[in-house]
This record gives sequence, structure tokens and C-alpha cells, in this order.
Amino acid sequence: MVQFFVKRLIGLLFVIIGVTFITFIMGFYAPGDPIRNLLGQHFDPRLYAQLKHAYGLDLPWYQQYYNYLTHLLHLDFGLSYKEQDRSVWSILQDGVPISAELGFWALVIEVLVGVPLGVFSALKANTWIDTTNMGVMLVFFAVPVFVISVFVQVIVVWIDQHTGGSWPVSGWGNPGQYTWNDLQFKLIPIFVYAFTGTAYIARLARTSTLEVLRQDYVRTARAKGLSERVVVYRHALRNALIPLITVLGSYIGFLVTGAFFIEQIFNIPGIAQITLTSVSSRDYPVIQATTILLAVAVVIGNLIADVLYAVVDPRIKVS
Amino acid sequence: MPDSMIQPVDPQLAETIDASLLTEDATSQKEPEKSATPLQESLRRFRRDTRTVVSAGIIVFFIVLAIVGPTIYQHIGGNYQSAINGTVPVTAFHGPFHQELENQDQFISGQYWLGTDAVGRDLFARLLQGLLISITVAVLVEVINITLGITIGVLAGYFGGWIDQLLARFTDIMFAFPGLLFVILLTGIFGTWADGTLGAIPIIGPNGNARLLLVSMALAFTSWPLMARYVRGQTLQLKEQQFVEAARTSGTTSAQIIVRHIVPNLFSIVIIASTLNMANTIVGEAGISLLGLGVQSPGSSLGLMISDGVSQIDSHPWEVLLPSIVLAIIVLCFSFLGDGLRDAFDPRAKDS
Repeated sequence: MVQFFVKRLIGLLFVIIGVTFITFIMGFYAPGDPIRNLLGQHFDPRLYAQLKHAYGLDLPWYQQYYNYLTHLLHLDFGLSYKEQDRSVWSILQDGVPISAELGFWALVIEVLVGVPLGVFSALKANTWIDTTNMGVMLVFFAVPVFVISVFVQVIVVWIDQHTGGSWPVSGWGNPGQYTWNDLQFKLIPIFVYAFTGTAYIARLARTSTLEVLRQDYVRTARAKGLSERVVVYRHALRNALIPLITVLGSYIGFLVTGAFFIEQIFNIPGIAQITLTSVSSRDYPVIQATTILLAVAVVIGNLIADVLYAVVDPRIKVS
Repeated sequence: MPDSMIQPVDPQLAETIDASLLTEDATSQKEPEKSATPLQESLRRFRRDTRTVVSAGIIVFFIVLAIVGPTIYQHIGGNYQSAINGTVPVTAFHGPFHQELENQDQFISGQYWLGTDAVGRDLFARLLQGLLISITVAVLVEVINITLGITIGVLAGYFGGWIDQLLARFTDIMFAFPGLLFVILLTGIFGTWADGTLGAIPIIGPNGNARLLLVSMALAFTSWPLMARYVRGQTLQLKEQQFVEAARTSGTTSAQIIVRHIVPNLFSIVIIASTLNMANTIVGEAGISLLGLGVQSPGSSLGLMISDGVSQIDSHPWEVLLPSIVLAIIVLCFSFLGDGLRDAFDPRAKDS
């Protein structure tokens, strides 16, 4: 177990170094000179050299990369190119809580709604309930999240116009607060965000439940004369949920990409929005920081899933 | 039969008639039932699957529409007397880029079949252009994806060794790193460079399409590892088959075995994987354009149309609904087609 954990940690380190390297090289070779942009019209060779030195951009690339990594270890992402005197860290602090909040509640809804739907569908396998349910889930899964957002927005706006209401379809309210006013902002994005994932989890839950119901121990349980309820809840369900754990890991990546569209369409100032703004203003330190942050979130999600999987299911060979 | 000469017989009916004739007296002449080849079996399963066939039909319809539609549409109707632009020929105002500022936010009409957007551009023309962009990007990405995926997947699966190791490590990183994030980074950082440099290339360059090449490359780059992994798995299985062993014992070189025996047998898995990936690619391109990093105005793309339409959502929801609905239909069709192909080629996978 310990060996497995150490191995995974080393793998994680490799991925993180790979990601930092890719983002660093992209920023390094990116067209345009950030210092020149920063100075704008007032170009002064002396000030230019000074600033270049201050940002450490006059060093060769390997030294810049080394400096970058050592600073990263202290959680120092450097200074923003665009907003002078503002550290990348403080910019991130604006967005991360909002995105985390959005992602967390979406994940909660996905699990709470998706798992029961999938299991229910599996228990009613091949009836019209199952077919309809899975058909709807397939549509939710296949249709891109930004299209669903658009449909929901159109409906909300239409209802507003016909009832004279004013339910907001843009913005996020205060992060971490749940007054009715804030909830009005938050509910729709969270639910729309959860659509795709719910469908995905429901489909998986159905498959793995069906798989488990075919196992010998379920037949044994039935043969012992246990009631169907006990068979399903005590024997089948627990085991059906195991494969879902592995998926949750890779699922974080899913959430991250979804965030870009949700935050863009609902105008939520989260980390994806920050990434996009910094991409368009070519604020490389911020881009690098958000990329690394998101990639690390995905990798750690994977790691947690792997470890949980090994803990929950003793049959898994830890190798 | 004189009847059939006057009235064309429904082909399905004709088939049943022929069949009944055969069973009447020609059974003796019928050859002993030949067992169908696996491909024929798959095609038969495919044809029976209504949902898949309908999806394929819709996709073909959209492709044909995107290719021949603009030419036809630009010749329907006469000149338009505009107060701003003078006499506007139909080829112009039925084109995707022409702005007719006195006709903003129009609804469906004889002049504009699907209405106009906030700056008076023909929505139908823009939709056709957007479809063409989606399809072009999907094809381009699939070409790169299949070439890279097959080459590296086969090499890794057949020879193993360091290529296999490299592929495994690389796919690990690519799976950990969200693909879309990579595409956003690449297009965001090199986007303006692409506008300047690639914009000079004729045909693909102008009208804000310069970044598409970048978007396609980025999308292909994020999708080939999965294809390579599928191909590798299949190659590993094929390598152990007896016909490969037979070829090897009879002195066939590795290169010949790969070309003659391995690659042709990858057909079904490559088709399935690339169809499913096409749905992702189309969503990806639309998404990148929606985020403002893909096709630039005045160009058109389904994603760009959605992002243009979102600002009009209060007053003219149709402008955002139209591209969204079309995109949803295309993506669903590609997903259904991919699922159907998988069922047709690999019926065992259906239960799981």
C-alpha cells in the first residue's frame, strides 16, 4: 500500500513538472514582448532593461524555468504583467473560491441525483422507464453544456418577461454566502453545470449495477431467501458504487473544462474567467498559474480516486 | 410485366416480390447460403438500426447543405434596394459576411429565410458557413488523428519497447491535462500570431478563419493519444492471431505484415473511434469559437453565432436558439452514429 502510494506520488510529480514545463515553454516562446506591452507608448531603454531584470526575463530559459519552479514551491506565482504591482496569487484568490464553490455543489448534485437515477434504471432494466431515462441521459450527456446553458437562459428570460420577474441569468452574488439573493444567482449555473455530469454518472451507475446484479454473490444472496430489498441495498449497491470512485477522479477534468463555458455564459468571475481574460490580455504569469492549478487539481483528483479504489476494493491488486 | 413499366415499383416491394418468386420455384437454383463476411454482417446490423440510419441521413443532409447550399441560396431572390448600401445583389445579402444595417434582428421572411442577426447579416447564410467550418475542422482533425493514431499505435503495439513506453507516458500526461485547457492555451497565446501569419494564406486565411488551422492542430493533438491507445490494444490482439503467425512463418517481413494484415483489421475500431471523436471535435471548435478564441468576426461558426446571439437573448432569443439547436442536432447525430457503428461492428459490446 505504502509502495503504491509512493509510486503514485512520484508519477504525480512527473506530471506536474511536465505541465509546468509545457506552460513555461509556451509562455517563453509566445509572440510579443510583455515588457514592451507593459511600457506601452512610453518606451525608455533604461526602464525597459530595469523591468526586464526585475521580472527576470533577461536570464536564459533554463534559469528562468528554475527560478519559476523554486518560486512555485513557495506558492509564489510571480507578478502579473497586466495589473502592475499585483501578485498572481492575489488575482487567483478572487477566482478560486467561486470556481471551487461552483464545482463542489455541481459535484454534490451529480452524485445525489445521478447515482439513484442510474441504479433505479438498472433495477428496471429494459422497461420503458429505463429506456426513457437512459435516452434523456444520453441527450444530456451528448449535448454540449453551453447549448444547455443557452436553452435554460432563454427559458428563464422568457418566464421573466411573461411574469414580470427578474431572475438573474448572469453573475454570481457573494461567494460563500447563501441568502436568497445569492441563491438566485447561484442555483441556475450550478444545476446547468451538473446536467452533463449527472447524465454521465447515471449511465455509469446503471452499467455497474447491472454488472453487479449478474455476480454470483447476488445469486447466492437471493438463493438464501433474502428479500429483494436486502439483496439490492446491502449486497448489490455497495459493490456497484466502487467503479464510480475511479471515474470521479478523471471527472474533475470534466468539471474543469465545463467551468470555462459555464463561467463565460453566466458571466461568473471564477478561475476559468480569469484564465480567459489573461489569455486575451496575454498575462502569461496568470495563465501559467491557472493552468498549473487546474492541472494539479485534475491530477490530485485522479490520485485520490486511485487510492480510494484500492482502499475500498481489496480485490484490486496494488501494483 | 407491363405494370412495372408504367409505374415504378417501390424498391422494397420489388425485393419482396423477387424473394417470393425465388421461394416459389427457384429454390433449387439458389446456391447454398453463403455465409456473409463480417463486414456484410455489420452492414446488415447497421441498416436495421433505425436511429443510426436516421442520424447518418441527417449528417449527410447537413454536409450536402453546407457544401451546395450557399451557391443555391445566393441565387434565389433579386436585388435589394438598400437605403444605406444602394443596390445590393442577392449574392451579397445572402452571403454570410454582408451587413445590412437597416435590416437588423429580422425574423424569418422571404428575403431572409432564417432572419438576420444584430448587425443585419443573413442567419441562414451564416449557419451554412458555420456548418461548413464545423465539418471542415472535423475532417481535418480526423485526418491528423487517424494518421498519428494508427502510426504510433501500431508501432507501439507491434514492436513494444521504447515507443510503447513513450506512448504510455505521453497518454498519461495528456489524460491528466484537460484537453480543452490545452487548446485554449495554444489558441489564446498564438492566436494573434495566427491572425497575422496564417491570415495571409489564400482560401483558409481571410474572413477570420486564420485561427482554425491552429484550433484543428490543437484539437488533433489532444485527441490522438486515445486513438493510439485503441489501435495499440487492437494490434496487441491481432499480433497473437494465427494468420499473423502464419504470415510470419512463411517469411513475411514485419512491414508487410503491418500493411497487409494489421492495418486492414483496424478498420472498424478506427471508424468507431473517429466518429465518436468527431462529435467532440465539433463541440470543441464551437466551444473555442464561443470563448472568442476560434473563428473571428466577420467569419462564422456555430460557436461564434451562439456567442453573438447571447447578447440578444432578451429581445431576440431566436438568434441564439437557431445555432444552438443545429449544434445539438449535429452532435447528437454523431454520437448516435458512433454508438450505432459500435453496435454494428462489435455486437458483444452492446450489453455492457
